[in-house]
Amino acid sequence: MRRKAVHHLFRLATGVCAAAACGVFFLIVWAIASRGWAALSWRFFTEQIRLVGADGGIFYNLLGTLILLATALAASAPTATALALLHGVYLRHHPRPRRLLTLALTVLNGVPSILFGIFGLIVFVQWLGWGKSWLTGGLLLGFMILPTVTVSLMERIAGLPARYLEAAAGLGLTQSQIVRSVILPQSVGGLVTGSLLGLARAAGETAPIMFTATIFAGATVPNGIKENPVLSLPYHIFVLAQDSFDPAVGAKVWGTALVLLGVVFALSLLALPVRLKAHEEAREG
Amino acid sequence: MARRRRWSLTKAASWTFSVVALAGIAGLAALFAVQSLPVWKHAGWGFLTGREWFFRESLFGAAPMIYGTLVVAAVALALAAPVGIGAAVFTSEFLPRRWRLAVKLAIELLAGVPSVVYGLLGILLLRNWVYDALEPFEPLSGDTLLTAGVLLAVMLLPTVMTLAEDALRGVPGAQRAAARGLGLTATETVLHVTLPQAAPGILAAVLLSLGRALGEMIAVFLVVGRQDNQWPAPVHSVRPLLEAGQTLSSKLGGAEINIAYGDPLHWAAMAGLALVLLLLVTTLTLLGARLRRTDHAT
Amino acid sequence: MPAPVLRTAELTVTAGNRRLLESVTLEIPTGGVQGLIGPSGAGKTTLLKCLNRLAELTPGLRVEGQVFFQGRPLYRSGLNADDLRADVGILFQQPVVFPQTVLANVLFGVRHLGRAPRRDWPAVAEAALREAALWDEVKDRLHHPARRLSVGQQQRLCLARALATQPVVILMDEPTSALDPKSTETIEALIRHLGRRRTVVLVTHQPAQARRVCDRLAFLGVREGAGRVLRDGPTAEVLAATDIPEVRDYGSSRL
Repeated sequence: MRRKAVHHLFRLATGVCAAAACGVFFLIVWAIASRGWAALSWRFFTEQIRLVGADGGIFYNLLGTLILLATALAASAPTATALALLHGVYLRHHPRPRRLLTLALTVLNGVPSILFGIFGLIVFVQWLGWGKSWLTGGLLLGFMILPTVTVSLMERIAGLPARYLEAAAGLGLTQSQIVRSVILPQSVGGLVTGSLLGLARAAGETAPIMFTATIFAGATVPNGIKENPVLSLPYHIFVLAQDSFDPAVGAKVWGTALVLLGVVFALSLLALPVRLKAHEEAREG
Repeated sequence: MARRRRWSLTKAASWTFSVVALAGIAGLAALFAVQSLPVWKHAGWGFLTGREWFFRESLFGAAPMIYGTLVVAAVALALAAPVGIGAAVFTSEFLPRRWRLAVKLAIELLAGVPSVVYGLLGILLLRNWVYDALEPFEPLSGDTLLTAGVLLAVMLLPTVMTLAEDALRGVPGAQRAAARGLGLTATETVLHVTLPQAAPGILAAVLLSLGRALGEMIAVFLVVGRQDNQWPAPVHSVRPLLEAGQTLSSKLGGAEINIAYGDPLHWAAMAGLALVLLLLVTTLTLLGARLRRTDHAT
Repeated sequence: MPAPVLRTAELTVTAGNRRLLESVTLEIPTGGVQGLIGPSGAGKTTLLKCLNRLAELTPGLRVEGQVFFQGRPLYRSGLNADDLRADVGILFQQPVVFPQTVLANVLFGVRHLGRAPRRDWPAVAEAALREAALWDEVKDRLHHPARRLSVGQQQRLCLARALATQPVVILMDEPTSALDPKSTETIEALIRHLGRRRTVVLVTHQPAQARRVCDRLAFLGVREGAGRVLRDGPTAEVLAATDIPEVRDYGSSRL
């Protein structure tokens, strides 16, 4: 029967596409894991780079990435909360400013990461004269992930049952008391999820930090703001990828890539269960 | 309604942080506009249409880079959109719930793979494959616009797929049930009921992915060849795909940023490239967002 | 006595741990209006949707037992469910119109099933719309968006759409519960009229509606955690079966 044949063909074609997409995922993970596994060892994680990447480990790269992520979190969490409160509480009855706010976040979310890097180069490295600094990197990354964290929080606040807020208002609480004792505590989940997702992205970004915060070798722990770059995982890979002829280096680059992938996946996986569930429930129909 | 004091600490803090953030966003755009003014004065529209970029001679033509950006993005979308939409259709319409969540998980993780890792795979694997595949055309190396396009396609796939799947899931189940109740097959239901109603959201998925494609730097930088002044002759020639090229983003990520610092005009030219990129991407982002709102509204 | 157009045999439907229907054996005679009535959760809609195999679109449902349509088994028999649904049409509680014109909606099924040649389509559409008592109201608006019709008109449009494929049986899942009294009256008159030429299976939760519209009635209730048919027969007889506690409670709570 022709109609049934068309159905089977269509289902097959789209199934192949889905298999290809999943296949790509497994291929990529396999390609990196199979080449990078050999480099992983206790030494790899606890030593610093030697011989331009041919020996030693990535300890300070890991540390640098952690410093950048912690700074990004410290910068974006309060800002995202502020924006989300503006959207959900203080501007709730002003549709046009609200829309502008969402629009600004949407635009920010699409900005190519290299432009954050150049922006940081101009404002922090040159105008403020900080040179390359871990703080610049953290601030830029925090700025970059702001939409992700904010939107997650905004959705959480919008989803709060009205009865919580009505009950609080009925008890005579002021608006700011309601915010502090009802809204913020109830929306912590949104902040955590958004932050994890944002940090997962920030961990792998090279472009915002390559002109402003990171170098290839020589930095350990920062001791101040100005002229205090850090090492980082993605930049390490970026530099070594361009000089990929030394086989000893080769294995270590793959190892670094595997570690970076691990960090990113771990952060994403922590956030995902909550997000996928909420997503499916919202769309069931 | 709750009693409201005019100003509280929470409110003041919220406004302060928000204003700083919003000022940052506006500042980003304004910065590139202002810093690029000298090159607009120097070259006018020629900045966009000029085909030669020789900074030592103060020649700043961005056309080859705009061309490179568009070609790489076009190749990437041509590969990623059909596969991504097809995969989204299968996942949303034919897959049982448990499998669907598993696939979504794999795709979300895939979306999180950092560009530099794709770049590494591009350099150490894809580049050689392309070089071997293009042998009959005697390529100079595996770093070509095509390579960048293919690599970018893999990077865009999860984005297209996730957004398209969102759009499909947004079509009410009652519509599907009504179509099946009439005797339409599952495929007929997808083609004549679900897809048409998800169309705005799917178009948005493509536009937003295009925006991402235009702005992607690291992976493209590593495999595109970074060769200036590549211009197709004739314009519709496919030859440039097989040769090295340059995109707006790959130029911005290169060493020239540091070289340009000393020369105001050169620096303005780089800022001009950044401005063009920002405007292109922002337009697509806004269009895509608009379409997604339409999709949700219905 | 002519063979029943639809017949279930020990139909049992399970969703996870819950038994939605237990051993339902019911005969629906050809012609007339068969009602399914009972409290919520008794499985009326589930039973209805088993009759055109629409129930399986809901994930996680397991169907045991059998349903026969014109003597042919529907489950585990290699039967093409899509073809079946063209012969057993359905009308839902909420009207579901497609975002197209009135005409496109009416012809939606016909278009794809390929049972009528293209040149007959205008006639098919008119006939269906007349049968659904909608023709006069929309004959000048055939190319207008169907979404602009009132809710009552939309429901009749959905009925016309189902009728256009010439089904032998039409299933209806509480088709008037979303409508105002006037539209309800119109649809009920339509149902009685339809029952003369085809068979209608109607899920209703109003005994008064059952009396007005149904020739036969099956009462479903929950016993021992599963939906069962507790009484089946002519409408008046079933509604008067106060010896069955569920029927007695149901009737008294709704009059």
